[in-house]
Parts: sequence; C-alpha cells; structure tokens
Amino acid sequence: MDAEREARRAGWRLIRGATRPQWSWVAAGIAAGAAWTVARLVVPQLAGAAVDDGIRSGDTGRVLVLIAVMLGFGVLQAGASGIRRYCAFRIALRTETDLRAQLFAHLQRLHFAFHDEAQTGQLMARANSDLQQINQVVILIPLTAASLLTMLGVIVIMVSKSVVLAVLALGLLPLLNRAATVFSRRITPVNLALQQELSGLSGVVEESLSGIRVVKGFGAERMQNERLAVRADAVYERSLQAARMRAWFMPLIDLLPTISLVAIIWYGGHLVLDGRLQIGDILAYNLYVAMLIWPLRMVGMLIAQASRASAAAGRIHEVLATDPEVADPHHPVPLPPGPGDLRFEGVSFAYATGRQVLGGLDLHLRGGEAVAIVGATGSGKTTVARLVPRFYDVSAGRVLLDGVDVRDVPVAALRDEVGIVFEDTFLFSDSVRHNIAFSDPGAPFDLVERAARLAGAHGFIAALPDGYDTVIGEHGYSLSGGQRQRIAIARAVLHDPRVLILDDATSAVDPSKEHEIRSALAEVMDGRTTLIIAHRPATIALADRVVLLDEGRAVATGTHEELLATSERYREVLARIEDDEAAIEGSPS
Amino acid sequence: MRGGWIESGPLDEESRIDRAAARRVLVRLARMLRPQRGAVLVATALLVVQTAALLAGPLIVRWGVDAGLVARNGRVVNAAAIAYLVVALLGAGFGRAVIWNVSRTGEDFLRGLRTRVFRHLTGLDLGFFEREKTGRLVARMTSDIDALQELVSQGLVMFVQNVLIFVGTLVVITLLSWELTLCTIIVVPPLLAASIWFRNRSNTAYLNVRDSISSNLSTLQEGLEGVRVVQAYGREGGFIERFEATNEAQYEANIETVRIATRYFPVVEFTGVLGIAVVVGAGSVLVSNDALEVGTVLAFVLYLSNLFEPIQQLSQLYNTLQSAGAALAKIFGLLDTPNSVPERPGAVDLPPTGALEVAGVTFAYGGGPPDTDGIEHPLGPTVLTDVSITVAPGERVALVGPTGAGKSTLAKLMARFYDPLAGEVSYGGVSLRDATRASLRERIVVVPQEGYLFAGTLRDNIRVGDPDADDARIEAAVDALGLREHFESLPEGLDTEVRERGSRLSAGEKQLVSLARAALADPTVLVLDEATSNLDPGTELEVERALEALTEGRTVIVVAHRLSTAARCDRVAVVDEGRILELGSHDELVARGGRYATLFAAWTRSV
Repeated sequence: MDAEREARRAGWRLIRGATRPQWSWVAAGIAAGAAWTVARLVVPQLAGAAVDDGIRSGDTGRVLVLIAVMLGFGVLQAGASGIRRYCAFRIALRTETDLRAQLFAHLQRLHFAFHDEAQTGQLMARANSDLQQINQVVILIPLTAASLLTMLGVIVIMVSKSVVLAVLALGLLPLLNRAATVFSRRITPVNLALQQELSGLSGVVEESLSGIRVVKGFGAERMQNERLAVRADAVYERSLQAARMRAWFMPLIDLLPTISLVAIIWYGGHLVLDGRLQIGDILAYNLYVAMLIWPLRMVGMLIAQASRASAAAGRIHEVLATDPEVADPHHPVPLPPGPGDLRFEGVSFAYATGRQVLGGLDLHLRGGEAVAIVGATGSGKTTVARLVPRFYDVSAGRVLLDGVDVRDVPVAALRDEVGIVFEDTFLFSDSVRHNIAFSDPGAPFDLVERAARLAGAHGFIAALPDGYDTVIGEHGYSLSGGQRQRIAIARAVLHDPRVLILDDATSAVDPSKEHEIRSALAEVMDGRTTLIIAHRPATIALADRVVLLDEGRAVATGTHEELLATSERYREVLARIEDDEAAIEGSPS
Repeated sequence: MRGGWIESGPLDEESRIDRAAARRVLVRLARMLRPQRGAVLVATALLVVQTAALLAGPLIVRWGVDAGLVARNGRVVNAAAIAYLVVALLGAGFGRAVIWNVSRTGEDFLRGLRTRVFRHLTGLDLGFFEREKTGRLVARMTSDIDALQELVSQGLVMFVQNVLIFVGTLVVITLLSWELTLCTIIVVPPLLAASIWFRNRSNTAYLNVRDSISSNLSTLQEGLEGVRVVQAYGREGGFIERFEATNEAQYEANIETVRIATRYFPVVEFTGVLGIAVVVGAGSVLVSNDALEVGTVLAFVLYLSNLFEPIQQLSQLYNTLQSAGAALAKIFGLLDTPNSVPERPGAVDLPPTGALEVAGVTFAYGGGPPDTDGIEHPLGPTVLTDVSITVAPGERVALVGPTGAGKSTLAKLMARFYDPLAGEVSYGGVSLRDATRASLRERIVVVPQEGYLFAGTLRDNIRVGDPDADDARIEAAVDALGLREHFESLPEGLDTEVRERGSRLSAGEKQLVSLARAALADPTVLVLDEATSNLDPGTELEVERALEALTEGRTVIVVAHRLSTAARCDRVAVVDEGRILELGSHDELVARGGRYATLFAAWTRSV
C-alpha cells in the first residue's frame, strides 16, 4: 500500500517535471481561460439588462447598444475559448510525446537483463495506454481550472443578489457532481466485464473459424453454436446491466439542473414580485445554471482521471528509474589496438534468477584464432559469448580484450570491435540493404554487397523482387530462417570487428546450403578472432581449436579429432546433440 | 467531453455506405425488427412523451413570466414552479423508461443477430472458408456487430431524441412567434455548415492519427524486440532518432485535430451568443410593437440550446450511423451467402451401414458464388476426372500419390465437404446429396491432419466428437484407444486446460486428442488425412497404436503420406493427375511392378 502511494507520488513528480518546459503555454492557457470565464459571465448579465432596461422599458436603442457589447464579448469568448483549448491539448500532447521519446531512449539503453525480464507487450502498454492516461489528465487540468473559475464567478454573482436564491438554485448541483462520479465508478467495472465477455465471444468465433476443418469433420457445428449462444447471452446480460445503470443515472443527471431552474422560477419569481430582482436576472440565472452543468461533471472526471493517471505515471517512472547496469566506466581507458586477444580469467556468472551459469572459467583466444565452444544445453556456451560485448557483466573474474578489462573501455568502443550473430535473427522492417548496413549505416553499396557475398546471401538477395531494396521483416517479404541468418552474418561481416562471435548462427541454414557459407565464413574469419558456438560437427570444423564447456568450466581443449579421441564427455555431448538434431529434422519419409 | 476527440471513431472508406445501399439496409432492418415491433413502438411512444416534457419547460417559464411576474400574480408563479417540477420529474421518469426500453430491444436484436450470423457461418460449406480470409469473417462477428452495439447503447436514443427535439422546438417556437423564429433560424445555417466542415475535416485528421499511431507503435515494437541487435551494434542513437521521427509525426497528426477543433468550437460558442443577441434584439423590436410578450423572449432564449445542440450532436452521430449501416450491409452480405452443400428438402437418413461408392466423379475447385467482397472465383482446373471406387463395409483403403494429385480432394468428396461437378458419391445406396446433415456426420467423420485444439479442457476437446457424450463415454473412448495413461500423466489429467501456458500439448498429443474425438463420435466410416510432418518419436508409436485401435472394424479411407501406412491397408489406390491409376492390395501392386512398386522400392531403400 505504501509502495503504491510512493509510486503515485513519483508519478506526479514525473508529470510535473514533464509539463515544466511548457510553462509559457500553461500560462497562456490559464490567461485565456480567465478571459473566457469573464466573457461567459458577462453575456448573461447583458442579456438580462437588455430584457430589463431595453425590452421592458421599450428602449430599443439601448437594447441595440447592449447587443453590440454582448457580441463584442461573444467574440472575446470565442477567441479565448479557442486559445484555451489549443493550449490545453498542446501541453498534454507535448507532454505525452516527450515522455514517450524519453521512455524509448531509456529502454534502448537498458541492459539485456532488464529486457530478458520485461515483456514487450507490457512495455508497449507503458508507452501507449499509460501515456494516454497522463495525456488526458493534463488536458483536464487547465480546462478544470477555468471551470472552477466559472463556478466561483456564478456563485459570487448569485450570492451578491440573494443568498437564499443562491442556495436554492445551486444547492443541489454538487449532487450532480456526485451522481456523475458514482455513475462512472459503478459503470466502469461493468463496461470492463462487458469488454471481457465480448473478447470471450470473439475467442469462440476465432477458434471456430480457425478450426473449421475439425468442426466440419466432426459435425460439431451445433456444439460451437451453443457455445456462442452462451457467450452472446453473457454479453446480453452485461449490456443490460450497463443499460440499467444508464437508465438510472442519465435522467438523474439531466434532472438536477432542471430542479435548479424550478427553484429560480419559484423563489426568484417571488423576489421579482417583491421588487428585489429583475426579470432579466431570471433569464441570466437560467443561463448560468446551464453553464455549470459541464464544469461540475468535469470535476468528477478529473478526480477519476487523476487517479488513473498517477498510477500510470507511477508505472512509467518505475521504468525510467531503472538505471542501465551496463554503462561506461567513470574513468574510461581507450581500447588499445591489437590482434583481438581475448582472455577469460576466473569468470563466474549468475543470472538474476540466481542460476549460476559459469563458475571460474579460464579461456584464452589468441588474436586471429577461431575457437569453437561445445557443450550440452545449459552449459553456459551462449553466456560466454554474451560477456564479451558486455551484454552482461561478470559476477566475478574478468574478461580482457587485448589486455584491457572490457569494463574499463567505453561501451560503444567495445561493441565497435565485437560483431555478434545471434541464433534468433532479428530483422527490421526495412530493405535488405539497410538491414545489412545496420551495423554501419554509412557503408557504400559495394561494401554491403561484398558482405552479402561473403555471408553467402548475395544469390538469394539478387533473386528477390527488388533485390537489395526489397523490404523484409514483419511488414514485408518473409525470408526463411536460413536466409535471415545469412543476412545477419552479412551484417556482422560489414561491421568488420576485431572479434567475431557466431552464436549458433547457422542453425537454421539448410544443411545442403551450409557448405556454401562455410567456405565464405572461412574467408571472413581469416585474421579475426572468432568464437563459434556450434552444434553441428561441420560448423565445429571451422575452428582451429575446440573447447568443451561443462557446468560452467572449460573441461577439455584440443582439435575436434583430439577431443573425439581423448574425451569421453565430448563424445557424449556430440552424440546427444546429433540425437536432438535428428529429432528436430526428422527422418526422411 | 465534446470535441478534441470524437466519440464514434473515424470513418474510413471501408465503413462508408452510399444512399441506395443505406435504403436497402434500412428496409431489411425494418423487416428483421418486425417480431419486436411492439417493443419498438413502445420505445418510440415513450421517447415522444419524454421530448414533449422537455419542450414544455420553457413554455411554463413563459407563462410564469407573463401571467405571473409581469401581471404580478404570486399564485401563478407558484403554479408555474410546481408545473415545471412535475414536468421535469415526468421527463426524468420517461427518460429512464426510454433508455431501458431502447437498450433492451436493441440488445435483444443484437443477441439474435449474433447467434443467427454465427449459425449461418458455421453452416456454410468448407469451400466458402477456403475462399474467405478468417480475419474478415471474424470481423463480421466482432467489430461489425460491435459497431451496431455502440449504436444501440449510445447513438440510437441520442439520434432520435435530437431529431425530435430539433423538430419539436422548431414547431413550438413557430407557433409562439413565427417572426422571431424567422430571425432566430438564420443562425442555424452557419452552425450547420461549420459542423459539417468539422466532421469531414476531423474525420480525415483522425484517420491520419490512427495511421500515425500504428506506425509509431510498430517502430516502438521493433525497437523493443530488436533491442539486442541495436545494442550489439551500438546503434541506439540511430534508432532513437528513428523513433523520434515517428513519435513527432504522431504529435503532428494529433495537433492537427486540435487545430481543427480550435477553429470549430469558437464558432459554436459565438453562435450561442449570437443566438441570444438576435432573440433579444428582434424580441425587443417585437415587444415594443406589442407583437410579443417578454416571457416569449425568455422562452426563446431557453429554446436556443434545443436548436444548437442537436445540430452539433447529429453531425457527430453521422459517423456512428454510417459505420453501423456499413457494418449491417456487410453482415447482410454474409447472411445472403448460400450454402453450396445444402441439406436438400426431404433429405433422408443414411442407412446404418453400407458400401461407400464413388461413381464417375469429376471435380474442380471454384465456380461458387462470389465471395463477400464480390470477387468472383472462376472454376479452376479439373482436380478429379471420372473417378470411380467402391469401398466395402469394414475395408481400409489408402490413397497415395504425389502432392496435388487429388487424393485429399477425393477424400473430402467422400465426406461431402464438396459436391462433385459430375458423378455421384453414395453410401449404402443413398447419394450423399440426399442425406440429412446429421446422419452424414454420424456415419462419416473426417479426422484432419493437424489436431486443432479449442479453448477448454482436454475433456471439452474430446467432446467435440459428440457434444452429448457424458464423462463415462469420454473415458470409454479414451480407454478404447489405450490413451488413459498418457492423458492422466498431464498436470490435471483430462481436466487440463489445453491453451494454458505450461501445458502446451505436442503435435503428437494433439493428434491423440483428435483420434479420441473420432473414437467418441464412433462413425462407421473414417476419413483420415495422415499428418505429413513427423511427430516426436515418443508419441509417434502411441499415435500408431491408437490409430490401429480406432480403425478396427470401421470403413477407413486414409490419405497416406507414408507407404508403411499404405502397406497396412486392405487396398491401395494410386492417385495422380486426377485419376486412379492403380488399385489393389499392397502385395498385388508390388507384384504388378507399376507405379506403386517403384515408389515402394525407392522407399525401402531409403529406410
């Protein structure tokens, strides 16, 4: 509970901070709101005066003067209304946009471990629906300020004429606010439940249509029809529940101001008969009551919205308050030039879940050497690869690149010298060319093409509808897993790093095509330190040396043949990998 | 809140409807509402009374002012106040009845529409589902009916009420003073023009907002899903810039809607003041000529909002109405799609047992009615040409042949997923065209390749085979296939939720569910489409054993992808290019040395 209050408080600080740069707009909005309020308060007075001083006394000339003044205030009211609205929305949209940019930039810099834990969908909700909640409360704040001013003005004017009339006319109106608040509080859960029923219904529709072959094959139409009927009944019940509430509250919300009008006619009427009020005042008061309806409902909305917004802002603050764990050192040293000599010294690593993956790993890759790391699932192979570009930091020990601890050099400089190809390749919705040049956006086209050739990707890229300009990814042309991996390899090749890491990077490449990239890879790896995480013997054969990893330590090292001959464990691990592969690829039918 | 954002969502080309179509939709809607016409009439009557109560208010004020205040009669003032209160309470009471009645009638209609559209949909032939995209069909049942729901719950009452208020007010004020009415309504055209301008401009602007949001969200999503690659190549800066561009585009699109509203709402506010000014000004001239009482001027000022607000609201409701109309038109289109394998009037039940006979069957896909987008699907190339085969009761026949040979099509025709263009498929001497749908699915069941699972427990999924089966029969079906042990090893046995995380069933286990369904359905004829993909070695054996138990004593047609399956059948039909090339037992065909023998030889070598 306290944690929640603290989060809300942090949320408000965030909202205040984000609106601060727009103080000039806030001021303009408030000024326009004040002018708008004044104009709105004056118009009914003028209308009343026109009725009393003009119409009733037959002075048409005076009526015309009052009308002219009224129209002048009308222009003021209209102008101020526009400015006020524009300011309110601008402040809110600017706040939303700035916060979203800030959130995105922060997320881009957060460490891998954070992204391992977080779900994309949730982060998307932070940047979308949560920010909209904030947007809406920011809009309401200046609008409500003007509303409060209007209310205050009306009360002052009425009280100055007659306290009793003011009480009678305005006394019931707070109930309007109350009714609107209660209504929204009661109907919100019903509407949510209705949404849930609707999505349950669409679930039945979706699965019936996706599984239509089963439905038809078993003649299960009646069963699905009945399931849908159950859902439709639930939707019906919920909708009627909501309708019942609307039927209660909406007429009530409309009724309350009318009762105020009745009070004005009755008590105000008697005041007129007593000569303490003019008929024009009755007209003015009628107009005032109509003016109060929206402000009163808006105050209710603001309170409900403020609660939602502060919770949303609290959630956003939580993300923004997470510091990147992998950051530049305070006193960075430059990465010295070197051959890419890579050394792991007593390296231990445990994930946030507490699972110990590496325990005292010692490993040395001489500059230009290609080393394959082989190990059973869970032996820590992938983790070894990810410690080099500091996707994670070691828990103990150190990783040295050309004699310097990777934690002592600027992150950007380090990653500039390390190219990694992941097992699950991510391609952006962009052209093939830009996807390859992602690692070096300024690269001229012939370098991109050369990288593609080296990765064995040029052939299929040239055959795509628009060649290198073909848009791929989620919203574009879809490539096979092997093709995607080859583009990722081309990306790493173009990067031209000192250390190249292939993390199961050819796993999805069709075995019949693998020899093509194998020779290309050999050329790429020439003169570069390469760390290969591999399953297939064919890929392992690319390495000069093989290291067997078991339970977080290097337990054997040597050439593939040597290990086959000497290490029982190595034979075991390879055999298991082959079994797995066979199960995945299946036997030919 | 009015303006800035609109309640009914923008209208894209998809959800527009032209006048002629709108008329057709309305006529049909009226026809569909006929069973509820009593409720509709009641709701309309209530609405009229409620509006009358609303319109009476200013008249009472006028009376109170003229006969009470001007004539200095305190009792009239009291009477006016009481009358006003009574009318207001009546209005509220009727308002409550209106909302309740309209909602209930509307929801009744929607519930009926939902079940009716879905029943029609599930009843359609398989060919229809092959023509249409699933997503579009889901939309008919969800977003289209939701558009109607929005109309029922919010728009309809507002629409009718606003029309009644506007027209009613116009009539009343004309009766009070036609001269002052003439002066007043000159304010209406500019407001109307501004409202229409606003609606059109803000619609376009909101479509832009929608696009800009979706493109910004996809950049965002890419940035989050690709964050590891971005960081690996140190491209955070570039990606942040890219996001800022789409983020600013979203801002620009949004602020454009604000600009449009900023131009419109001042017009609305000024019109309000102008209306008062006109009424007071013209009123003063008329009063000074003794053509009018001052109470009438007051009543006019009070009536002004009855003229202005409906214009604003109706122009906004236009979008809701348009999209509801378009949605109804699409739904009607679906309801009009005929079933191309209908149950013939006077259809008979299939006999309990008999031979399945395919006689001179020719078939091609396509050629059905145009799809719901009106796109024609002409008759495709011939898939089967003059195919004949008779499967005796209890016989197992395998259909083999290359992909696209027509073996799956032949199997589907045997279960009447389609009707042949020429020739006949019959069971026990009765043509499938003449059979009742219920008896057809009781005798002949098709087990599709992939075991599709519905949300619910394993038990619910098996019950698809026979919705009326009790738990004992489900367990008997599971036992018959020897699957009890396997299913009970799952976290909650047969009550395991199949869609829940952590209890994901493997492809093999899905197949087992599918076979258990078939065992529960207990048909005399089974049409099996063998899975092309390989199953996990553990369940593969179990699937084979269950299949063996399931097919025992039944007529079986299996589309075989593995020759080992074919070898186990009584007869094998080799299908290629739409014809049966060879037909005989496995041994006969191998001995014959034809097509099948060649395939079999190649296969034994590879194993």
